[in-house]
Amino acid sequence: MNYGPLVFLAAFFALASSWCGFVLTPQLQIGRLQQTNTVGSAAATYPVARPGLARQGLEVYRANGCAYCHSQQVGQTGTLLDIALTDAGTNETTTIAALLKLADASANHPGVLTALPPWGGSRSNASTTALLGELPRAFLRSSTREAANAAVKTLNSTSAKAQLWIVPVGPDLARGWGRRRTVAEDFLFDSPVMPGSQRVGPDLTNVGMRQPDANWHLLHLYAPQAQVKGSTMPPYRFLFEKRRIRFQPSPEALMLPPELAPPAGYEIVPKPAAKALAAYLVNLRADAPLYTAPLTVPAAPAASTPTNAATATASAK
Amino acid sequence: MSVISSPSQPSAAGPADTAPALVAPAAIDLSCRLPLVVLFLSAAVWLLVASAFGLVASIKFHAPGFLADSAWLTYGRVRPAGVNSMLYGFCLQAGLGVALWMLARLGRTTLAAPWLVIVGALCWNLGVAAGVLGILRGGSTGFENLEMPGYAVSLVFLACLMMVFWGVLTFHQRRERQLYVSQWFLFAALFWFPWIYSTANLLLQGFHVRGVAQAVIAWWYSDNLLVVWLGLVGLATVLYFVPKLTSRDLHSRYLALLAFWMLILFGSWSGIPANAPVPAWMPALSVVATVLGVIPVIAVALNVHWTLEGKCSKLLGHPSLRFIGFGLVAFIVAGLASAATALPAVNQITQFTWFIPARGLLNSYGFFAMVIFGAIYYIVPQLIGQEFPFPKLVRAHFWTAAAGVLLFVVPLAIRGIAQGLRLQHADVAFADIAKGTLPFLRASTTGDLLMALGHLMFLANLCGLVFQFYRARAVSAWAEATAELKTAEARS
Amino acid sequence: MSPELRPSLPLTAEAPEPRAGIAAVPVWLIILLSLFLYWGMVYFDQHSGWFSPEVYAPYRSTAELALYQPPTGGIDLSRGKAVYENICGLCHGNDGAGKPGQAPAFANSEWALGTPNRMIRIPIVGLAGPVQVAGQQWNLAMPAMGAALPDDDLAAVLTYIRQSWGNKASAVTPEQVKAVRAEVGNRTQPWTAEQLNAIQ
Repeated sequence: MNYGPLVFLAAFFALASSWCGFVLTPQLQIGRLQQTNTVGSAAATYPVARPGLARQGLEVYRANGCAYCHSQQVGQTGTLLDIALTDAGTNETTTIAALLKLADASANHPGVLTALPPWGGSRSNASTTALLGELPRAFLRSSTREAANAAVKTLNSTSAKAQLWIVPVGPDLARGWGRRRTVAEDFLFDSPVMPGSQRVGPDLTNVGMRQPDANWHLLHLYAPQAQVKGSTMPPYRFLFEKRRIRFQPSPEALMLPPELAPPAGYEIVPKPAAKALAAYLVNLRADAPLYTAPLTVPAAPAASTPTNAATATASAK
Repeated sequence: MSVISSPSQPSAAGPADTAPALVAPAAIDLSCRLPLVVLFLSAAVWLLVASAFGLVASIKFHAPGFLADSAWLTYGRVRPAGVNSMLYGFCLQAGLGVALWMLARLGRTTLAAPWLVIVGALCWNLGVAAGVLGILRGGSTGFENLEMPGYAVSLVFLACLMMVFWGVLTFHQRRERQLYVSQWFLFAALFWFPWIYSTANLLLQGFHVRGVAQAVIAWWYSDNLLVVWLGLVGLATVLYFVPKLTSRDLHSRYLALLAFWMLILFGSWSGIPANAPVPAWMPALSVVATVLGVIPVIAVALNVHWTLEGKCSKLLGHPSLRFIGFGLVAFIVAGLASAATALPAVNQITQFTWFIPARGLLNSYGFFAMVIFGAIYYIVPQLIGQEFPFPKLVRAHFWTAAAGVLLFVVPLAIRGIAQGLRLQHADVAFADIAKGTLPFLRASTTGDLLMALGHLMFLANLCGLVFQFYRARAVSAWAEATAELKTAEARS
Repeated sequence: MSPELRPSLPLTAEAPEPRAGIAAVPVWLIILLSLFLYWGMVYFDQHSGWFSPEVYAPYRSTAELALYQPPTGGIDLSRGKAVYENICGLCHGNDGAGKPGQAPAFANSEWALGTPNRMIRIPIVGLAGPVQVAGQQWNLAMPAMGAALPDDDLAAVLTYIRQSWGNKASAVTPEQVKAVRAEVGNRTQPWTAEQLNAIQ
């Protein structure tokens, strides 16, 4: 019996099945995605197309193989719910009593309900009242929906107004690499899509949030070891040119430390490719709340003193 | 005398034979000689090129400023250039060569249209050269294992069609109708590559699917190339040479059939990483498929173990078998490692660390390249009809290659796991984690050096044998021609 | 003498081509395969979200994903529902499905799901002339039903429309309504679809 056609059919079927599964179906499902709306209190279209210089920067990123050391995808291992107060209510005593009741509950069920800093379940009336003056603020964190709903109900039964805030968690997010996981919409306008498979260097999904200054990126590209000690990132000096200062220094000239500065009379100026790449890096953010990756972006609480403001923004993360 | 025009010479003489007579191995080797010599020599050269790129990339970790002032030699271009040279220049070319030879031998028929295969090989080399130069110029596509720009892809695809078509024709014209297990693997591999290569390049460079679907297709292609195609050709080679060189029958064709089916089914579905930015069903399917990929690994291991009747020391007998035995062990370890790290909880630790390239190299080099070395060390002397000029270098190559692979893979894998474990804790600074990987990178650079040394030995042996043979032919042809001239002069 | 068919080599005599035996596959391997397949099915059931394009890990189903959506910012949907049924439902239907010849549907309407800047303008001043809604052509005139509503009520009813009957869009805040009202100013002429489409 001629088994040749049978072998062919077997292999054809196997490859056709995986082609349907990982080429055809993704194209049908996510290959025709459109812009979507963010969820939560502020309405916005997401994503917006990158500005022109940033799109050119994407080409520079691709041509120089930045994706071999930097990933652009952030993961999430779970979601927690923060119980936040948006309004302290007319009777602060009852509100504080409810909070203390929840603090007891959190002490009894440490895995399910935890009191968040700076409140931390403290029994001191004075510090709690002070914090009630800086709302909206999250007081407790819950890992289950039931406990969170019960806590919100307890607080809402007083005159205060409580809300649930969605908080994605995971090692990447804890490291500050993002506020939520990356999803398909984050790559909608990019071509090619380079999520990367190695983290020799840090993840770049939200680098525009961490380092919004293009000059930082230009300096980093020129001399990575000057910015990050012991970095193995190669210097990209070919993206810059050293030229003689004419009449006066160019506003784009890099401000380099003395050991890296060019000789007197010369300046280091970024070439268009470097400027484009810096514009692209500054444009990288993926923290808008979406239906597929929900999170609450809380408004910063009103700060009464500068130190409180620092702790407030720290706890609002 | 031309190799190409000699007709196949049937060895079976019976006049009452109704089945087509089987061709003698010597005649088959004759038809295969020039195409395979071209393929294997070019593959060996590309291997050296890949080693050079790999070494440059490795050194850059220890001295970031090394060759950093040239845009063509920045790490982000040298690394894909090296990977593409290795995959397309060596793995695919040498793999196709070995596949064509095995199909011809197992079908007891000569290679169909050898000169077209030679043209295909030359076209392939042109395409890969254009592709690698394109990557160095900055024309990389941005997709891993698919970086070659469009003009190179067209050349490579055309060349691949040429070689694949004649391979299929060789299979079709087989005179031995009973199929051996390796033929299933090879026949599937022959049309697997054109399909995945054309689909991936059309959709990623031609028609541009939108958004993260590009990444899904790129992952699908990478997996089908590295797990399925290399697996098919590599396992075909293992299942051919182990029984042949130990003079035993393969233990079970049914186990091999199981391995074949499971490899092509589960292997082709296992590409999407577990924490990818795509809807959850895609990584879920891949996780299941990767874990199920343990089954073909076990099936092949059992088959070989029982073929040898447990006496694995037989693998040390023939120099080729040493390479093939090492490759088989690497295949088993890489397969088990893939399955173990597929689940999201474990994947969370190994993802984005040095564990991934370590496991990748164990599969593509530790398994596939070593098996191919073993095959080439057997095939080329058969084709040429002479032993290698430096037989001791064959053993030396094995030991340097084995040491190189171990030195590269083991430290990187260990460090990758440690890196991943530290990355789970946000209070450990990223810079500290990166610094901690450096001593292990030194070990892997040494591994790179050893592998490069092995490649030099390989090329030296191949070149030596081929040039020795063709020089002898040229000398004798010249002697014949001048002898005729002299007798003609003497008569006149 | 042709040098090609050089007879056998100083190598050992070549071994014949291999053959395959017919031993059976061990049963335990088949059982192992079945166990793995079973595990695979269970894993897929639990982790895949059953092919939904919206479910990303760590969420496991569309139901779980819906539970974790952030609150809408404190606007009371029940208030919006009351206003809707009083004023808008008469023409657009209490089920948001519209009434043929009277008013288009709100469910899956791109005008309701799009940017609030367009949606808020419609009840303030009205909409007349040809307009396409969810693939259907309409050519009627809507009066300025929301002109008399205070900002809070208008925000509540628009939020209710954007989050009911399968619509999933963001809430509309009273501040947004106030801002749009300030931009619109004293205009009394109803919008046309082209004018609205020009607004971002």
